[in-house]
Amino acid sequence: MPVGNDQLASLTWQQVPGAAESAIYPLIRKIDILSSNSYLITTPDVIILIDPGGLSDQVEQLSRVIGECRAEKNRPVFVFLTHAHIDHFLGVQSNPAFVHPDAFVFAVHQAGACALESGDSRVTLADLLQTPILPLKIGLHLFTEERAQLPGVPRALCFPPGAEITIVRDCAGDDPAGLPREQIQFGSGPALVAYHTPGHSSDSICLRIGDLLFIGDLLFAANPGVAGVSGWSQEALIHSLNGVEPLIAGGGIRLVCPGHGRVITAADALRMLSSVRSDALALANIAELNHERAVMTAAFAGDCMEQVNELFIIMAGRLQYVSYIMDELGESGIAEETSALIRSDAIDELLETFRNFTQEHQRGQQVPIHLVLKAGQVIAKLERTFHRNELASIIDPTFVRRAARLLSDYTTMLRGFTPPGECSDCDLVPVIDAVVTGLSVPPFSDDDILSSSDDDDAFSRILLARIGTRPLLEGVESTVLAEGASLRAFIDHEHFTDLLTYILEDLIGTGARQIEIHTGHRDKNVVVTVAGNVPSSGTGQKPRTWQFLRGLSERAGGTLAVQEHEGFHRFEFTAMAV
Amino acid sequence: MDITTTNCEGKTVLSINGRIDTSTAPELEQAINREIEPGNRKILLDFSRVSYISSGGLRVLLVTAKKLKDPGDKFGICSLSTEVLKVITLTGFASIFPIYPSEGEALASW
Repeated sequence: MPVGNDQLASLTWQQVPGAAESAIYPLIRKIDILSSNSYLITTPDVIILIDPGGLSDQVEQLSRVIGECRAEKNRPVFVFLTHAHIDHFLGVQSNPAFVHPDAFVFAVHQAGACALESGDSRVTLADLLQTPILPLKIGLHLFTEERAQLPGVPRALCFPPGAEITIVRDCAGDDPAGLPREQIQFGSGPALVAYHTPGHSSDSICLRIGDLLFIGDLLFAANPGVAGVSGWSQEALIHSLNGVEPLIAGGGIRLVCPGHGRVITAADALRMLSSVRSDALALANIAELNHERAVMTAAFAGDCMEQVNELFIIMAGRLQYVSYIMDELGESGIAEETSALIRSDAIDELLETFRNFTQEHQRGQQVPIHLVLKAGQVIAKLERTFHRNELASIIDPTFVRRAARLLSDYTTMLRGFTPPGECSDCDLVPVIDAVVTGLSVPPFSDDDILSSSDDDDAFSRILLARIGTRPLLEGVESTVLAEGASLRAFIDHEHFTDLLTYILEDLIGTGARQIEIHTGHRDKNVVVTVAGNVPSSGTGQKPRTWQFLRGLSERAGGTLAVQEHEGFHRFEFTAMAV
Repeated sequence: MDITTTNCEGKTVLSINGRIDTSTAPELEQAINREIEPGNRKILLDFSRVSYISSGGLRVLLVTAKKLKDPGDKFGICSLSTEVLKVITLTGFASIFPIYPSEGEALASW
């Protein structure tokens, strides 16, 4: 049963709005990267399937419904792909009814058709998703050069099952939307109009029948982990949005049917496309998201999430500690408010889910791009629950700052950029002094507490910060031996600060009671060495942490060598001297 | 996660083997409560085979510390792996309850 004027019900036949004697059977899936939505449409003359999907079960289900339609009235079946990505068609490859060359007519944009016929694993994203594909015969190539040369001239085409169509390519500029357009007429029923809308891929098309517009993956084209796939183009995407937005705004289109997720109204589609445009405009010169990039990003995700996990546990633990002390002081209200600043149960669960996912990936059950996207989802959720300003006012801001930077660096990487490393001429001596002082001196002195005693709010704020901020180097014998009063290097100041903090925390946290920092020159480089003895009861730092620190050193503009021998840890950071 | 409990001269040692995470932290809390309720108020947690503790696990440690703060009560953890030691140190928990290098040293000082 239809669910109203602003929605189509999944797995139910309903009338196509604006197209007489036509019905639609949508198969709407929860959004994932395995398979698209499918839309089955019948008219008196033809059965049209838009995007069969990536799963064999889904195609089997559609095949049964098509069989019922043909039993009622035998008609030719045309299978249109909004684009040739495997999540929109892979399911047909295991279904005999679809792979028989004359059973159904596949209709795909020329570029996608060539890729499918040659089994191109890059264009179809089979390579990215590490899925084998077979060549697929495409009966109807859309937007061919030949028809582009004869605009406005209808062409009659026949296909082996006895299907006949008339197809006409519009003159450039004839359509108010300004998009290349082909109108396909099946008998006397309503026409299907295809618009070439590249950007998400070079072969992306939108399809219109009656008041419905099928837009493939246009709504997701600027999403992290989607933007940058083979064939993606920022320029083409903006051009396509320039065409699709007026097409929808011009009236006559009531519902917009995306390749993934629920059907939306024209008004909602316009709002969402506007957001796609804003996101797309920020994506100049992004890297291609191919298998190699996915492997690199997945490795970064693994390192990054391990540190994110540790930072969130420590931040949650610090809040619990503050809450415990406040409770001891009889301030149970403040204790409760403090512990509520991090939803630690939800975060634990989120990070545990990611850990399980990572283990599946390590066992070969997930391909790198799945891990990349999963990390993106987890980080987006963490970002939403992360009250950084409130946290930074109670616990050491360095934890909050580093967690925020890791989340941001990963998102940047996922969007196709290199995580920012803005290297500049920087004197390392005051930077090192600032880090060491920050870990040695409480943020508020005893005088600060005394002078705030007349102001309840200020006193409470300073007391909380005094409890929540622990000078970790207190009780540790730390020595800074600088070669000179200044040590200028070409580094990224913020990432270097983070790196030094991580190293010092690792040493302090694992029990080092003496830490030495040496700075000096070697050849044309500056070298910063941090060394400390960790008691033998420790099992040594995890190589994974070292791997993360090496990556962080690169983002800081240098390299890191790590040595560990019988509890003695030595970290040597080298960067170009100025 | 497996927990083995041994009692000796009024001192209870819970040896934990595995990760203390969202799913296992309640199990640890229940095991500790089973000892405290009948009056065992000297509890040592042996963490030598604990490789990971989540914030849910940290909460269990604090709740236990709150329960065992009467005169004569004892609560501590021993034999921490590097990973867990780092978390306990950086959170500040080491100032709420003692951390011992080994079970022997903990029990000898009680």
